[in-house]
Amino acid sequence: MDMSTEIGDGVIMDYFVSMLLIGIGVALLATGSFTSYFGAGKSQKIGFALLFFGIATLAYFILLYPLEEDIFVEALVSGVAALSGMIIGMFLILFVLMKVDTVDDLEDLDLEDLEDLDLDEELKKLEKELNAESNDSSEEEE
Amino acid sequence: MADTTEVAISMLIVGAALSMLFMGLLISYYGSSKTRNVGFLFLIIGAALAYYVTSMAYDTVVFVNSILAFIGGMLGGIIGIVIFLVAIIKS
Repeated sequence: MDMSTEIGDGVIMDYFVSMLLIGIGVALLATGSFTSYFGAGKSQKIGFALLFFGIATLAYFILLYPLEEDIFVEALVSGVAALSGMIIGMFLILFVLMKVDTVDDLEDLDLEDLEDLDLDEELKKLEKELNAESNDSSEEEE
Repeated sequence: MADTTEVAISMLIVGAALSMLFMGLLISYYGSSKTRNVGFLFLIIGAALAYYVTSMAYDTVVFVNSILAFIGGMLGGIIGIVIFLVAIIKS
């Protein structure tokens, strides 16, 4: 990459602000359409207002051509491509995480302790404890 | 002016590198003993992708413009959602 080139004038307005407005327009269009469809009463009215502003913002770029077509296409391609890249990266990460066995090793667990454990004896102990508790409570009631 | 395909591919790699770096950082910090290693792997892949995309032989101006457009689009989306939330919460 040639690092000696300087950043051109008007880049912020051409690329940053145009894509900022496009982003706001798309977000308002999406949220407005959902709210106007699923909302009721006051929230539905707000949904229609958001939808209107979203369409107006996008229509400004489509109908009035505030930018040169090359610049607009380049900015749009950059934004969409980077977003797609992020989505692909996320899917890769999720795929690898699901494939990797995330449960910690059972090797650390001392299985000899489990083998020595007499379940019948443990059950008897538990029963004794429960009986003792129930006897205490019945004595208190009397 | 760089080819549109070149811009698209480079920004695709930038997006993938960003998600790998951030997710790798989170997984390597908060992950368990096994997932932590995967997190470090993602960090390495993300750094390699970032190095590759910055060493690609194409115009810096176009690259910075594309990054600006991407940041603008993301910020715009966030602002749009904030506008929606403010409008709904205030009503």
